[in-house]
Amino acid sequence: MSPEAHRAKAERIERSLAKCGPQDYEMKIEAAMLAGTHWLNLALHRMGITPPQTDVLHTYMLTVNELRKYRVADAELLDALAEIEDIRPGFVRGNLPGGEKAAERSLALLSLLRQKAQPDYSAGG
Amino acid sequence: MNVASHLQKIRKLEALRSRLDPMDDFELWFWSAMNAGTHAVNAALHDAKITRADDVFPAQPGVYLVPQPDSSVRPAFHPLGDVLHVGRPKIDAPIPEDVAAMMHEMELIEHHRDPCIRGERPPTPAIAQQCERALRRCLELLGKRLPGAQP
Repeated sequence: MSPEAHRAKAERIERSLAKCGPQDYEMKIEAAMLAGTHWLNLALHRMGITPPQTDVLHTYMLTVNELRKYRVADAELLDALAEIEDIRPGFVRGNLPGGEKAAERSLALLSLLRQKAQPDYSAGG
Repeated sequence: MNVASHLQKIRKLEALRSRLDPMDDFELWFWSAMNAGTHAVNAALHDAKITRADDVFPAQPGVYLVPQPDSSVRPAFHPLGDVLHVGRPKIDAPIPEDVAAMMHEMELIEHHRDPCIRGERPPTPAIAQQCERALRRCLELLGKRLPGAQP
């Protein structure tokens, strides 16, 4: 998918997030995963690491070689999405206590992914 | 996860879906429908004694997060409990007709997942209506199997 399409999808998901309340932590986490994946793909395409025809679906579905290569490009991006993905089983599919806090963490990671995927992102800002 | 928790998740997702616009919010609207339907299928599979209703949470087929006495969780192999999606993993057991029908409805929804959510196929009102009808049928079938346990 083109970087522009990834951006449009991510931004639409993030607009929908505004309709989620604190109790909707499951879909906040899912939205962070979905939008975060679009931001990661946008970043990988922009860096020339992956072509638009090759999108990451989940970090855990990558081969070890792919994961290592993409982490060379930007480990922080890959690790942020992986952390969101790891939050899902216990709070989205499961009923562990602390879902609202888990959602807050997911959204903080989404914010990091969004910032780093922007072309004008700088490490200090 | 236990049946009551699945029903509670469905209630929450349905409440959220009522605030989402099928077109403007398609991604979250669709994803919450998919999650709600998957909870319904899992509840029905537990009720039919096909899968275990243990409070362990699927990370990948065969691997579940298992709560520990110290409140931490640990990934471990575990007998089949909740499925991640219909077909993931495939269930090698006879499925009652009503549950198979629920799974079919979910396949109709999941058919649109990769093209519309991961890919560039624009969602249409027709796609949204098909997904909505499929989820309604899935939840109606759950309601018949679990009378009195309205999700």
